[in-house]
Amino acid sequence: MTLIHVPRPPKSAFYKDRPVSSLLKNQIRHLQEAEFNLIKTEGEAAEYIRRVTAQLHPAGAKPQIVRRRKARPGRVKEIAAAAGRKTRATRGRKTKSKPKGRGKKAASKRKRSGKKRAS
Amino acid sequence: MPPGLDNLKHIVVLMMENRSFDHMLGSLKAVDARIDGLTGNESNPDTTGAQIKVAPQAQYQSQLDPDPDHHFPAVDLQIFGGDTSPTRVANMQGFVKSYFNQQHDAKHAGKIMYYFPKEKLPVLTTLATEFAVFNGWFSSIPGPTICNRAFAHYGTSFGQVSMDLFYVKEPYKSVYERLIAASPAHTAKIYYYDQASSTMEVVNLLQHQPQLFATYDQFIADCKKGTLPDYCFVEPNYNDHDGDTGELIASDQHPDHNVQAGELFIASVYNAIKQNPTLWKNTALLIVYDEHGGIYDHVPPPACTPDGFAASGSDTGTGAEFKFDRLGVRVPAILVSPWVPKGTVVSGRVFEHASIPATATEHFIGDYDQRSPREKAADTFLDLLSLSTMRTDAPDFDV
Repeated sequence: MTLIHVPRPPKSAFYKDRPVSSLLKNQIRHLQEAEFNLIKTEGEAAEYIRRVTAQLHPAGAKPQIVRRRKARPGRVKEIAAAAGRKTRATRGRKTKSKPKGRGKKAASKRKRSGKKRAS
Repeated sequence: MPPGLDNLKHIVVLMMENRSFDHMLGSLKAVDARIDGLTGNESNPDTTGAQIKVAPQAQYQSQLDPDPDHHFPAVDLQIFGGDTSPTRVANMQGFVKSYFNQQHDAKHAGKIMYYFPKEKLPVLTTLATEFAVFNGWFSSIPGPTICNRAFAHYGTSFGQVSMDLFYVKEPYKSVYERLIAASPAHTAKIYYYDQASSTMEVVNLLQHQPQLFATYDQFIADCKKGTLPDYCFVEPNYNDHDGDTGELIASDQHPDHNVQAGELFIASVYNAIKQNPTLWKNTALLIVYDEHGGIYDHVPPPACTPDGFAASGSDTGTGAEFKFDRLGVRVPAILVSPWVPKGTVVSGRVFEHASIPATATEHFIGDYDQRSPREKAADTFLDLLSLSTMRTDAPDFDV
């Protein structure tokens, strides 16, 4: 019985960064068709949309990072003051008034006068 | 019935990618004149009319880049040399012109004529000379992968001549479905390499009949345990990717993938069968390529039985309708079995990928009418298991 030696390819033969061939592109196209048919529910559609959008727009897929810093006492006041200040965007805009007759004062007034709240 | 056929319980088909007969096995003519390979004088004109000869300078990788065009219009040019007249004759004179069209680099275009010296392909050339090599196995369509592989699974491509999606049309069924539904039922599987490589038969079979599939690891395990299905089709690794065991290099031999990696894969399939003595005795292994990949071959593809479908001029991309009445370019095909006489050269017969379901159906089921005209007309190959005693001199590969 003859034993035939089979040479191995060099390590450099492995090349993942080779541009994708027409064969593989078409295989992907066929898999996409099959994948499309796998999506039956809105949840599955959302998951697919999320995954592809994340690939196309990675920045949008990152969760927002909320950094919690120890607030400096002076700065808290500053921010609180700024919160009440009108900005250029809100200047001149009428603030929406609260519906009348919902607060504590109105409730005690009603109690005193014996009136019931309109439902 | 010859004892080889009496013993035959398993047919295994390994389909590789995109290499022509002359490119891989053309050098064998120098070893055995019965093999319809190359004399060394075959040539193709370049765009200036100068003749570019074949040369034994094929390399394992980095030579056929970009991937030579093998879509329908390019193969039409390769086969007919650019003649579009109604009286044209296939002359295999358009390969250099076709490759030139991709980069307009005359020197590079000549590489499409290169072939491997036999020493560079120890697995394929050893199997070809030890068992049966087919002088006339042609791809089913002068076109690309998907439609050609369809012929191996269904005996037809349902009118498809490209890489586009196609859908199975009644009454034709895949060879796997036929075998499983037969009475008595048979077993059948497609083994793809792994999930990152997957299969080329996605839309009709993987999607709707995933139970037909398993991975190559399972093939190896099934060979060891003796649980191989009656019929199976093995697909190589189609891409370089990382796996659990490290870097997994593409083994399909599709340009520009490394040809040595494919040699190793072919040897591993052969060894897996041979190392189980019972399986070896009961199995026939066909190694075949899906199409020529745009690479030179000197034998004009013959006309064939029309398939009952027609591809329009816009589908073919040539402007001319195609009635599936001509085969594609010749590809390497080797039948391995201890019941095949050493050094068998199959000449004077025409095979194509429809011969695969035709052979499996004939052997396991017998009469089966719901087949394409092409499959019904296709030659079958199990008569090559003609020895009265099993051979014990088959080679081993150190894989």
